[in-house]
Amino acid sequence: MENLHGLSYRRRHEYRSGANGHSEETGNDMEPPESRAADETAGSSPPDTVGPPASGDAGTAAGDAARTADGADELGGISRLSVTSRIVLALAVAAVTVGAAVHLAMVFLHVAPTNTLSQKYAQAINGYIYPEFEQNWKLFAPNPLQENSDVQARAEVRKPDGTLVTTGWVDLTAMDIARIRHNPIPSHTEQNELRRAWSFYTDTHDDQNRSNGLRGDLAQSYVLRIVAHRFGPHLNGGDVQRVQVRSATAAVGAPPWSTEKIDTRTYYRVLPWWAVSPEDFT
Amino acid sequence: MTDQPTAARRPSTGPATAPVPSPFAGLLRGVDRTVARGLSRITGSAIAPYQSAVVRIGFSLTWLLFLLREWPHRDELYGPGSPWSWDMARTLIGTNHAFSVLMWSDSRLWFEVVYTAAIAFSVMLLLGWRTRTASILFMIGVLALQNRSVFVGDGGDNVLHIMAIYLAFTRCGQVWSLDGRRARRAAACAAPGRDPVGLVLWIGSALVLAWATAVGDLSGFWAVALWTALATQAAWWLVRRHAPGEPRTVLDMIANLVHGGAMLVIVVEVCLVYATAGWYKIQGSRWEDGTALYYPLHLNDFTPWPALSHALAGNGLMVMLITYGTVIVQVAFPFTLFNRRVKNVLLALMMCEHAGIAVILGLPFFSLAMIAADAVFLPTGFLRWIGDRVVRLLRPARRAVIPRQRSADEPTTSTLV
Repeated sequence: MENLHGLSYRRRHEYRSGANGHSEETGNDMEPPESRAADETAGSSPPDTVGPPASGDAGTAAGDAARTADGADELGGISRLSVTSRIVLALAVAAVTVGAAVHLAMVFLHVAPTNTLSQKYAQAINGYIYPEFEQNWKLFAPNPLQENSDVQARAEVRKPDGTLVTTGWVDLTAMDIARIRHNPIPSHTEQNELRRAWSFYTDTHDDQNRSNGLRGDLAQSYVLRIVAHRFGPHLNGGDVQRVQVRSATAAVGAPPWSTEKIDTRTYYRVLPWWAVSPEDFT
Repeated sequence: MTDQPTAARRPSTGPATAPVPSPFAGLLRGVDRTVARGLSRITGSAIAPYQSAVVRIGFSLTWLLFLLREWPHRDELYGPGSPWSWDMARTLIGTNHAFSVLMWSDSRLWFEVVYTAAIAFSVMLLLGWRTRTASILFMIGVLALQNRSVFVGDGGDNVLHIMAIYLAFTRCGQVWSLDGRRARRAAACAAPGRDPVGLVLWIGSALVLAWATAVGDLSGFWAVALWTALATQAAWWLVRRHAPGEPRTVLDMIANLVHGGAMLVIVVEVCLVYATAGWYKIQGSRWEDGTALYYPLHLNDFTPWPALSHALAGNGLMVMLITYGTVIVQVAFPFTLFNRRVKNVLLALMMCEHAGIAVILGLPFFSLAMIAADAVFLPTGFLRWIGDRVVRLLRPARRAVIPRQRSADEPTTSTLV
């Protein structure tokens, strides 16, 4: 479709070939904004490099006249507009100002710690921010993560002779890490998928693995499906019937120069067995 | 402002002496002038053309490289074969009303079309071809994939998501773009502004939008937003063609104004990112005792090069310097915007730190996105210089025909802020 950006160039050309021969830059890309501001303040620059931004076809002669008047000079091209145009422009200024201010205030209240305002207007702020402007910049804050958490899983498979056999634990996180090692561009599938699914699960479940509702149920299905996808329907010569997931978490030890004692033993959180349906593999 | 030097020097002894002039004299007039000048500047041209272009190029390139890198994994991440199934995505979106065109159909064909289109849209925006349309299509592509699978993203996806929306309001294709080149050529030959490609693009967009609206896949808000965007383009085209006088000038000014507002939002957003990242760290005991950096270097998910990470983590002094330096730079950055020189030093430091994060923590796309966001603060002189270097590198044979865009005596140290 018609492009916004062609216009300024065209206009500049029209001015260069203007009837009065007065060359005037609209200066979109040619002129760094601050240099123009500085030059206008100084008021000593040659007329062919600076000047108020032209207002299009209102005429450069009018511009020259306006430049002599103090206030009009500051207003640039706006001073050459009709009253209707000025009203339209004023409304636009108001809309953009209010829009930007409201947006930035909402984002600020969203990222700031819970405070008087964000508590009082929590509903309005959340309604504005979610889902598209949600953001979290507490990167490694207030403290960086200080533990390695591996998600492990095992399956109960039915052998062709009908017996049920439980497999050993498979460290799915370790398999991800093996793919990340010496890889300059790791994939989100290795770096984020399981890690974030597990934190989604722990965020939406209590210590007794009780779901907090819809999100908790989704989290459980998600973890189950990730395990099912990685195991596949057939494992160790049998058909996968149920899976069980656990996390193995070990704290990173204190730095060698520190006197701090940190317990670095591995702790397990074991979830109940989950039945797997054929759809979970697709 | 209007202080008289003689009056200021005169000692105020007796009641007969003249009153000390108010330092606020002329304040209102000064404010008036400043507002008028600011208004003129922000409506007269789209401010910071190089900064908006570098942000455009940075984010479209990040997203393009990411999509290409994940091409083999696209189905697992966003497709019908994802563990985050289409039905689960629909359930979640039913609660938060996020916008994703991938929710229009669960078919594999539609997914492949959307993923491929997202790649095409990022190329469009990268090259600055039909930038106005491209920026909106780019945003639709980013939201489609990210909102389909919200749990595979990281901070890099987060910043890209937000910036993709902001970019749709900017005039980011004035320089370093095919649009810019086309406009220069059109200006040079003064040909009548016929634009069959633009017309085809607009009609195509309108048909797709009409279909989506008719089928009922568009939520109310997004239907209004996208139809408004389309109508604006039609109005723009009509005004350019049939009302080339003042209406066009006013439209141009409003577009510049919106661009300025969006650039302001981008700048403040980046400041909020650093302020949040920095201020929350101050409360952390590990950032206080100078060991915070040690721990990520021992997280298995973020150590693609364990030998390198452990070597760095083994140096206690280095760990402390980088730990403290990170907090200082992040907290200080927004305030250094008042001093160009200090700001540029911190900017260089932050970009280097992100480049380091790309390698050491194995987060290349996050780092690239953050560097693209940082780039909005780069000085115009630097951007023009680097742009020139790149052009010369890419086209050594055509060195002679590159047009000079600025006379030598013009200042080159301008920045957005």
